[in-house]
Amino acid sequence: MILQFLANGLIAGAIFSLMGLGIGLVYNTTKVLHIAYASIFVSGAYALYFFLKVLHFSLFFSIVLAILIAMILNILIEVFVYKPCYLKKTSSAIPLISSIGTYVVLTNLIALIFGNETKIVTSGIEKSFQFGSVILTRIQIIQFAAFLLLFTLYLILLKRTKFGKLIRAFANNPELLSMCGVEVLNLRILIFGLSGIFAGVASCLVALDIGIDPYAGMSILLVALVSLIVGGVGIFESAVFGGFLIGIIQNLVVWKISARWQDCITFLILIFFLLFRPQGILGIKKRMEEL
Amino acid sequence: MEITVLNKMKTDTLILSGISRSFGGLKAVDDVSVEFPPGRITGLIGPNGAGKTTLFNIISGFIKPDKGEIWWQGEKLLKYPPWTIAMKGIGRLFQDVRVFKKITAIENVLLGKSNPGECPVNLLFNHKNVIAQYREDIEKAREWLAFVGLKEKENVLAENLSYGQQKLLAIARLLMADSKVLLLDEPTAGINPSLIKDLILMIKKIAESGRTVIFIEHNMNIVLEIAHWVYFLNEGRIVAFGRPEDVLGNQEVRLTYLGL
Amino acid sequence: MNYILHIIVMIFIYGILALSLNLLIGYGGLISVCHAAFYGIGAYTTTLLMMNFNMNFFLALIVGVLLTSAMSLFIAYPSLRLKGDYFFLASLGFQIIIFAILYNWVNLTKGPYGIPGIPRPHVFGLALESEFFFFLFCGVIFYLIFLISKVLYNSPFGRVLKAIREDEIAAEALGKDVPAIKIWAFAISAGIAAIAGAMYAVYVSYIDPTSFTLDESIFILSIVLIGGSGNLKGPLIGVVFMIVLPEILRFLRIPDTVAPNVRQIIYGLALIILMKYRVQGILGDYSFE
Repeated sequence: MILQFLANGLIAGAIFSLMGLGIGLVYNTTKVLHIAYASIFVSGAYALYFFLKVLHFSLFFSIVLAILIAMILNILIEVFVYKPCYLKKTSSAIPLISSIGTYVVLTNLIALIFGNETKIVTSGIEKSFQFGSVILTRIQIIQFAAFLLLFTLYLILLKRTKFGKLIRAFANNPELLSMCGVEVLNLRILIFGLSGIFAGVASCLVALDIGIDPYAGMSILLVALVSLIVGGVGIFESAVFGGFLIGIIQNLVVWKISARWQDCITFLILIFFLLFRPQGILGIKKRMEEL
Repeated sequence: MEITVLNKMKTDTLILSGISRSFGGLKAVDDVSVEFPPGRITGLIGPNGAGKTTLFNIISGFIKPDKGEIWWQGEKLLKYPPWTIAMKGIGRLFQDVRVFKKITAIENVLLGKSNPGECPVNLLFNHKNVIAQYREDIEKAREWLAFVGLKEKENVLAENLSYGQQKLLAIARLLMADSKVLLLDEPTAGINPSLIKDLILMIKKIAESGRTVIFIEHNMNIVLEIAHWVYFLNEGRIVAFGRPEDVLGNQEVRLTYLGL
Repeated sequence: MNYILHIIVMIFIYGILALSLNLLIGYGGLISVCHAAFYGIGAYTTTLLMMNFNMNFFLALIVGVLLTSAMSLFIAYPSLRLKGDYFFLASLGFQIIIFAILYNWVNLTKGPYGIPGIPRPHVFGLALESEFFFFLFCGVIFYLIFLISKVLYNSPFGRVLKAIREDEIAAEALGKDVPAIKIWAFAISAGIAAIAGAMYAVYVSYIDPTSFTLDESIFILSIVLIGGSGNLKGPLIGVVFMIVLPEILRFLRIPDTVAPNVRQIIYGLALIILMKYRVQGILGDYSFE
């Protein structure tokens, strides 16, 4: 019994981790709390729905286009909403509020176009496989596999490429970077593009599993934020640690207590970490200098 | 340098003992032991980055030192938060002025001292007292504004005052606080010379009334004119101390600081 | 006519919510998205006391206010320790947790089934069943809250709040106990929001948790950000903008199914545009630096 819940936890964790990596990438570098990321997720899923179910493109093509749309939309938000704030050196409250506004606009646009109800993207019953006492559907296996692939590629990108070096430098010391003449604005675009890809992939995986509604983005973003904090802000891979931990804890709660209390427990964990271990599990404590 | 008065009696002498503070690898304040008795005007001089403002921040309670202790009226100050230290009579004038820009001059001065109305409970149950205290405070605030020459600017938003006027406002606010110890960080910077004369007179008067004045200053003429005692800090340590003429005549001081 | 009364009652209720959130915006760039939680705790406490113990509305209201103020400590304390983004996340967490409790503790709150049949209060023996008398009642309460806000705003407490909002360090150096004052601000803000909650409950006579979601918190926050904070006119103009504007949409013949989404798009755009060109909102005093 417990193995099934653990497996479910890992699968859920895979999705949380993808979104956590995406939002963490943006937060660690630009320090913007990209709340509008929730609507990027939803956009990707509805794009998939549109191409697959309305225009009847092939599955492969629809997925590629959906990821592309998520990526481009994310970049557009950076260019039109966050970049001006960065150039004007505003406090972090302003991009945050603009992000909330963007989330509201995009989510409602989608609801306007597609309606508020859940849209199903796949038809028929999913094939399932049995591994000992654990049953997994095909899409669940694909979710985990997709996560592994994407995460591996991301790690290679971070550790072995110049782009990865630039991202890590940006996270640690943004002023130094601009002084070295690095085109920070272009780097930001690449960062948002990559982050968009994470959301695009996650949204397709979820849409193909349980469908999509306009408000699902916020639910998943919230858990992604918890994963980021629990894992540790500042370290790019830590959201994965947080994501799997939360995924497993949520499913343990379903098993031992009740599915109803998942959210409550998840956010109690968030508050605990914010107050008592804000650097997360993997983070290093930073000294706060007064004045 | 020894502490001459290590008695923990309730004295109005501010005593710093062995204060040290580092930031990363940098020693901002290095084993500073000083006393500031009442009625004395003490100047803190030294090159930029010598640790003077950091010392002020430690006394005010915004930074905790790595080592050392501060004694005031028989108590150790380090355990208190900044507002308690302020309420115990240690007032602070900041180098970057820090008036509250979006409120009027008189409201700034009113904030100098505490009013029972600052606690909502008193607003509800004790309003007669609040109003009476407010009437008193407004009169006093007007006096201090007049004292620094800002009487007509009473209802002007602080952000609409010039830099020099804002500084005078900050001084008026500090006077309203009726502090026993005044920490003045570059009080005369940015103020025009005619006003400086009045300011100097004011500082002398404050000291004569039995209060302690400690000021950071780069203008040596002012130091010579009003300081009774001077400490010269360099790289966080007290390198020289004594009467202003003596310290400023000191060879090492002249070399490091005045470039002479 | 009843329709216009309805609009004005909503303006009163949201006006109270906006005035209460106004107390919290700005300290150290604080953005709070848990105001619907206070609104909901107030609504549910008053309702449950009235329905389960037959308590008089005004007594239940007072208990509701005190309970909500006490519960605000759970988010007031983090506000002392957490800066900017981290506090935002904490307020997010608080909102989700309170909603989860309202939604899932079915034995206490009836969860998603909601609580129907909430009676109108009795004032001087009169049950305020008529829309007109209830409207007057709301008006009186709103006016009282407005007066209280005005007194607070001009009081020494209000002055200290303005000071802390601008420069905490300078305020501390003047002897102001900043943590204590922040906790008071939260308590008063939450308490006033609870009053709005109680009014809402007896107005629509049915409450369920879906009125007190994160989206609702975002809505209330938008009122104060769009109208402006720091003074008393800002929040009120924000309420007029957010409540009256959608009604204008009706005259433009926008169909009812679509209207809620269009309304939200408008206020989302308003937020983005204002943050770009007029950070202090329409009539506010305070702007994020």
